[in-house]
Amino acid sequence: MNARTPQEDVKITVGYKALPGQKDDRLEQRTVQPAAGDAPPWDATTQFALVGTDVDRVDGLAKASGRAKYSYDVTFPGMLQAMILRSPVARGKLTVLELDEAARMPGIQAVVALKEIGNKVRFVGDAIAAVAGVNLHLVRDAIERIRAEYEREEHNVDYLVANDAPMVDDKGLVTEDWPADEGMTAALLDAKVTHDATYRVEVQTHSSLETHGGVARWTGNDLEVWLSTQATFGCRGELARALQGKKVDVGSVTIHSEFVGGGFGSKFGAGIEGLALCLLAHAAKAPVKLMLDRFEEHTTTGNRPGALMQARGGVDAEGRIVAWDWRSFGHAGFSGSGGSVAVPNYYTGDAKVRRSHKDLAIDADPPRPMRAPGHPQGWFGAELFLDELAAKAGVDPLAFRLQNDREQIRLDQWRFAAERFGWDAARARANAPGARMRRGVGLSSARWGNLGNPGRPAHGITCRIHQDGTVETRSGAQEPGVGTKTMLAVITAEELGVDLKLVKATVGHTGDPSGPASGGSTVTPSLAPAARHAAFLAKQQLCELVGKHLGVPANEVVCAGGLVGLGKSQLRWAEACKLIGPNPIDVRGQRFANYDSKPFHGSQCGVQMAEVEIDAWTGFVRVTRMFGIQDCGLVITRKLAESQVLGAMIQGVSYALHEQRILDKRTGRMLNGDFLRYKVTGARDLPELECHMHSIANGHDSVGAAGLGEPPSVASAAAIANAVFHALGTPVRHLPITPDKVVQALAKKG
Amino acid sequence: MTVPPDRGFSRRSFLKGSAAAGVATTGIAAAPAAPAGPTTFGPGLHEIELRINGKARKVEVETRTTLLDALRDGLDLTGAKKVCDRGACGGCTVLVDGVTTTSCMTLAMDAVGSEVTTIESLSDGDAVHPLVQNFVRCDAMQCGFCTPGMVMSSLSCLQRRGQPTVAQMQHDLSGNLCRCGTYGRVMQAIQRTAQGGGK
Repeated sequence: MNARTPQEDVKITVGYKALPGQKDDRLEQRTVQPAAGDAPPWDATTQFALVGTDVDRVDGLAKASGRAKYSYDVTFPGMLQAMILRSPVARGKLTVLELDEAARMPGIQAVVALKEIGNKVRFVGDAIAAVAGVNLHLVRDAIERIRAEYEREEHNVDYLVANDAPMVDDKGLVTEDWPADEGMTAALLDAKVTHDATYRVEVQTHSSLETHGGVARWTGNDLEVWLSTQATFGCRGELARALQGKKVDVGSVTIHSEFVGGGFGSKFGAGIEGLALCLLAHAAKAPVKLMLDRFEEHTTTGNRPGALMQARGGVDAEGRIVAWDWRSFGHAGFSGSGGSVAVPNYYTGDAKVRRSHKDLAIDADPPRPMRAPGHPQGWFGAELFLDELAAKAGVDPLAFRLQNDREQIRLDQWRFAAERFGWDAARARANAPGARMRRGVGLSSARWGNLGNPGRPAHGITCRIHQDGTVETRSGAQEPGVGTKTMLAVITAEELGVDLKLVKATVGHTGDPSGPASGGSTVTPSLAPAARHAAFLAKQQLCELVGKHLGVPANEVVCAGGLVGLGKSQLRWAEACKLIGPNPIDVRGQRFANYDSKPFHGSQCGVQMAEVEIDAWTGFVRVTRMFGIQDCGLVITRKLAESQVLGAMIQGVSYALHEQRILDKRTGRMLNGDFLRYKVTGARDLPELECHMHSIANGHDSVGAAGLGEPPSVASAAAIANAVFHALGTPVRHLPITPDKVVQALAKKG
Repeated sequence: MTVPPDRGFSRRSFLKGSAAAGVATTGIAAAPAAPAGPTTFGPGLHEIELRINGKARKVEVETRTTLLDALRDGLDLTGAKKVCDRGACGGCTVLVDGVTTTSCMTLAMDAVGSEVTTIESLSDGDAVHPLVQNFVRCDAMQCGFCTPGMVMSSLSCLQRRGQPTVAQMQHDLSGNLCRCGTYGRVMQAIQRTAQGGGK
C-alpha cells in the first residue's frame, strides 16, 4: 500500500533563506520523485496564501467559550459514575477481596474486580476493583465497604539504593569506578582540560489537567468509548483485545476523542481505567463515566523519570572536545524500564565517545514518555557539564558551542539567538561582590529527529467537498491541544485555494481514516502530506466537473483565490461546487513514504537562552526572560506553532525550578499528589518569553512539515541551569533548583 | 484569587468540621419555600433553586454536592472543569455575586440566593464576549482545559481593574494553573480587551 510508483523527476529547492540579520541563504537543489498521483512538492520557493500565516485556532472559540465537549464533559441519561479502589501497599499480594457488601450499597449498580486473589500488587495505587453507581458520593461510600487485604512484602521506592544502583556517597556523587576503557583513558590523558561531575533530576508527573478516563456505552456487543487519549486507534485495539471475553472485536469498538485536555505522553493507552470503565458499563447495562481524581493522575498514570547522570570529558588546547564519557541510571518503576536518558551527539565529532545507561527498578508507578522522552534530563546534565568544562578551559559558553557544534542550522541559530537575546552584553555583566540579587544567563541546544512516516497501514485523510461549497477534512487521530485540526484545515484550504472558514476539520473518531498516536512529534509530518493528497484528489474531481461545464481541459483548470477555472473562464467556488450534486466529492488521501533523496536535514534544531535573577539570601530563583529559536520544518500555522514553543519553555521553567514527585520511603505513597504541594509554574513565575520560528524546507515529502511536541521541550531546563551557574559562579547539579540547593551551593562555594 | 466574602461554610471548613453552627440558616435562608425554624436537608437528594447566568435553575443535590458538580452533572454546564477538586488550580472558576470562586470548594446549597455566572454566559451563538474573542485571536490556549477558568478569572480582573498592569494580571491569574503554558498569551488577551479590541 505504501509502495511508490516513481513519477518523473521534480527539481525542488530545499533549505532556508538567511535568518533576519544574517547574510547567507542555505538553499540547495534536490531532485525528487513523488509517488504517482501524489501532489507536487512544496519547497522553499513556494508562495503560500495561508500556510505560515497567523490564522486563528479553528476550534479556539469552542474551547474559549466552554462549549467544547471533552470526554470528561460527555454525559448521557442514566449515566453512572465510577471509581477505582487503589492499593495502599507498595509491594505484596492480594489475599482477600470481598465485594458483596459494596455491591449491596444504595445506588450501586456494578462492582468489578480488577485483580484476583493471589495477584501481585506492584505499587501504591495499583488498581484492585472498581465500582459504578448513580453518583460519586455513593460510589465513594461503597468503595469504603470493599474488604481488601494484602500480604505485604518489603518494598523500595528509592532508586539510588536499588539492587543494580551504582555506589553513591552521602553527597549523591557516584563513587563507583568507570568501566575500564584504554582508549578513553588515553583520550582523557591527552586532553588539556578535563572535568568530571554527577548530575541528578527528580521525577516529574505529566499533570495533564484533564485526568485519564472516559465514558463507555454499550449497544449489544458494540462499544463506544469517549476517551481522553493520545492514541485513538491504539486504544481501540487495546480495549478490543482486553474485552475478547465479551464477544468484542476491533470492528465493534469505536473511540471518540475530539477534545483532549492535555496528555504530554501519558495518554497512549486506555489503561486499567479504560478497561474498568468498559467492564462496569457492560455489567451495569448503562453508560458509565470514570475519570481519575488528581491523586490517581499523579500516582498511576506515569511520569518523566528521574535520573542520575555522570559525565567526564576533556578538551584540547584549541577548545575542541576530545573525550566524552557518559553513564546514566534511570529511575524506572516496577516495570524496570522506560528511564532512559538521551544526550546531544553533535558536539563530539571524532572525539572518543562512550555512553551507557541502566534502568533501576523500584516499587512505584513506571515512567511513560513525556515531551521528548529522556531529552530534558540528558540535555540538562550534558549542557551544564559543557558549561563547566568551558569555564575550566576559560572559554565563553557560546564560543564553546560555536566551536564544537557540527550542525550548520544550529550554528546559524546560535548567532541569531545571541543577537536577539543580547548574549554578549548580558554575559559580560558581572554581579557586584556580595550582592544579594544575582543575575546570570545561560544557553542550551536542542535536537529532535522526526520527519514522519506512512504508518502501517498508510495513514489517511478523508476530504469531502459538498454541494454548498463547504469542505471537510477528517482524521481518526486525536488532538491533545497541539493544533492538528487547524493544521489540517490550513493545508486543505491552501490546496483548494478557498477561504479557511469553508473548511471544517474533524479529528478523534475511529470511524475516520487511521492516523498515528500523538507521540514523538509524528502527527503533523505524518498527516500533513495525507491531508494535502486528499485535497489534491478532491480538487482533481472538482476540476473535471468544472472543465466539462466550461468546456476547458480539466487538467488545466486551476483552483485559486476562491475561483475555479482557466483563464477568463472562471466560476466562483460556490458556483463550481453546485456542479457536485447531492453526494459530495469524497476521497481518501494517503501518506506516501518519504522521498528517496536525502532530506535537507533529518531532524529539528533549536537553541534557547535564559536569564535568571537569584536572591542569594533566600536561594529563590526567578527566570526573568527567555528566547528560543526553533525549527519545525515548514511552519504551517505560525501563531499555534509559537504557542507550542512558548508553552514548552514555561514547562521547562517548571521542570528546572519547581516540579518533584516525593515518595514516602516508608509507605511508598506520594506525599505531594495534588496541586497544592506539587508545584507547577503559574502566572507569577512567568518570564518574558520570545520565540522565533525557523521555517525550513527539508524536501522529504509533498509538504515538508515536522512536529513540535518534542523539539522545544529539550533545551529550556538546561539553559536555566546554565544561567544559574553563571549567576552563582557555582553549578547546581540537581533539578529542580529549589532554594535549599541554591543556598547550599553558595555556602559550599564560600 | 480573591477570597469571597464569608458566605457560610466552605467545603474545606465543612470537611475540617470547624465551627459551622448557625451556618445552615445563612445558607438556606434564601431558599424560596423555607419554613420558619430549623429545616433538615438530606440525606439523599433534594431540590434547590440556583440563579445561574440570570436565570432561575432547579437542580437536585445532596447537601455535600459542590456547586461544580451541580453545574456539570445536574445542569450540563460543563464549561467549568473538574481538575484538582481542591481549589488549587482554578479550572472550575465561576463568579459568585461577581467574585471569582472555585466552584469545587463551594457547596451548591451555599450558592442559593447568589448570582452565579459561568463561562456559558459569555457567548450565545455567534454573539461572543470580546474577551473570549481575544482569547482566540491571541491563541491564549492549547489543550483548552484550563481556558474557561482562565477566561473567568480574566473577566474578573478586567471588571475590577479596568486597565490592569502585568503584576495585577499575574496576581489575578495566580489561582489558575495551565499545564500547556499559555499564561503570556492569556495576559495579551486581557490587555487587548482592556484596550477595546475584539468588539
